[in-house]
Amino acid sequence: MKQSGNVRMEGVVKQHGSFTALHGLDLEIRPGEFFALLGPSGSGKTTTLRILAGLESVNAGRVLLDNADVTHAEPGARDVAMVFQSYALYPHMTVAENIGFPLKMIGTPAAARSAAVQDAAAKVGIAHLLSRRPGQLSGGQQQRCALARAIVRQPRLFLLDEPLSNLDAKLRIETRAELRRLQRSLGVTMVYVTHDQEEAMTVADRMAVFMEGRVVQVGTPKSIFQRPASAAVASFIGTPPMNMLPARLEAGMVEVAGARLPVAEAGGQSGAVTLGVRPGDLRIAPDGMPATVEFIEDLGDSAVVLLQLAGQQVKLRAANAQALTEGQPVFLRFDPAAAHLFDSASGLRL
Amino acid sequence: MKRHALRHAMLWLVAGLLLAVWAFPVLWGLLTSFKSERDVLAYPPVWLFEPTLANYREVLFGASSILPNLWSSMVVSCSATLLTMLFAVPAAYALARLNYPAKRASGFYVLATQMLPPMGLIIPYYLVLQKIGGLDTYSGLTALYLSFSLPFAIWLMVSYFEDIPYEMEEAALLDRAGRLRTLWYVILPQVRGGIAVTTIFVFLNAWNEFLFAVVLGGNKVRPVTVAMFNFISVEQTQWARLAAGAMLAMAPVILIGLAAQRHIVKGLTVGAVKGGGRR
Repeated sequence: MKQSGNVRMEGVVKQHGSFTALHGLDLEIRPGEFFALLGPSGSGKTTTLRILAGLESVNAGRVLLDNADVTHAEPGARDVAMVFQSYALYPHMTVAENIGFPLKMIGTPAAARSAAVQDAAAKVGIAHLLSRRPGQLSGGQQQRCALARAIVRQPRLFLLDEPLSNLDAKLRIETRAELRRLQRSLGVTMVYVTHDQEEAMTVADRMAVFMEGRVVQVGTPKSIFQRPASAAVASFIGTPPMNMLPARLEAGMVEVAGARLPVAEAGGQSGAVTLGVRPGDLRIAPDGMPATVEFIEDLGDSAVVLLQLAGQQVKLRAANAQALTEGQPVFLRFDPAAAHLFDSASGLRL
Repeated sequence: MKRHALRHAMLWLVAGLLLAVWAFPVLWGLLTSFKSERDVLAYPPVWLFEPTLANYREVLFGASSILPNLWSSMVVSCSATLLTMLFAVPAAYALARLNYPAKRASGFYVLATQMLPPMGLIIPYYLVLQKIGGLDTYSGLTALYLSFSLPFAIWLMVSYFEDIPYEMEEAALLDRAGRLRTLWYVILPQVRGGIAVTTIFVFLNAWNEFLFAVVLGGNKVRPVTVAMFNFISVEQTQWARLAAGAMLAMAPVILIGLAAQRHIVKGLTVGAVKGGGRR
């Protein structure tokens, strides 16, 4: 396994006219890593991917691949492969010709090319479709064809732009597991753009969260989920999103919605804060924050309960909501260790 | 079921009516080309007459044979079409895709040349061709047709290129195809239909052109459209010969249309599959 595919971006700035898409981006991606770029639409994640591919120029900063400066290198000179959101299969070529095209362009002899095409197609399970044209394939098969075209020339870096967004829900879940397996078996670096936090959480070794043209947090999915760096990241990661409540912090206790409850990470600070509690960490208790049950979404094996709390809607996830009825007054509490505290002005974690 | 049949019948009726309107002059011309001059002028028109090939014999091998004129038309039309496509395809690609200074201005310039009434250009063209010795030459008439067909072809082709998603080229660039090979392997095959349609339009325009040919041609270069005009003279109009000449002049165009039909239809379906392929 070749340990190449190291990516470093230093102070990358990208402007589209007067709009700044990326404000001085710093990012390091390690060889062999499955790295997700996660963020809402317009946050700069796809722009970052396209800069890595060489399809977009940069206004400032450097891009390094395996310590070589490729900031101004042509896309074809970077030894990277990309799977486009639309797949961008060549409609007039067969599946075999599509997959073999990158090899044809570097002058691989026909026999070697055909063997490599067979091999790549087998890896993604479309070896029986080689003589079809893209128009005769299902969405999932087209996606595999695009993947095979990317892996056939064994690039040092894979770029995937929302590769699963055009598949239906069931296929998406199957394919993301396969993608993960493929990346493991090839041992290559994959950079994966998605706006779906669940997708990023399930496939990525590490991920970068993008907000408004900046990377706001980099880390493993678990570390970001457990310790989001800001209120914005906290409400973006996790379904249903984290509940955010205005509160006052004083001596290890928060005053929230008319109740005083203990929190673990106070750190001796005090003042106005935003208290974040995940729906799974809220529970019904004999005392605590007074709330009213508004609506119950039964998911079969669990339930999401919507409640009114001090004029604000909060969500609670429970294994069982059978004891609750709509309109019922209840009290809410949370584990002190599960409370996330953010500065109410800057939104940053305390 | 009954409503379905009725709708079919209506469709056939409308299609039949349109076809009749379109086909009548052609069929009338075809009939006329087999009549004797006397039968042509018979009133009321005769439907039953003794068909004759005399008109065809005359326009092909007689004193006023149009064979040299058909050759003239073929040379001018083919060279104009070939040169037009040779320049129009890369030009249209550049206009559709590349970013270069004054792109909008050059695009508008191409369009503006189409806005001039051809009539107003005859005298300037005459003077220019006369100065450079281009009157009554193949190269002169071809160059002249180029000046009209090139902007037209560029504008037609631009829309075909613009229909191709950018990712196609980006994917090809990442596959190390480079700009020219991307055009050759990835883009051109996808605009085949557009190239076929444009080629036919350009050829038709050149083949049917009369105004400039009559003024700027002459004895050596006299396209068939001009030659046919000679069957109309002050004393009489030789309708039957004119009709036979017209039928012969139409033949190559009809043949090209039939040959290219497959491509035109294919061009349309390629567009459909592309949308489907991008699902």
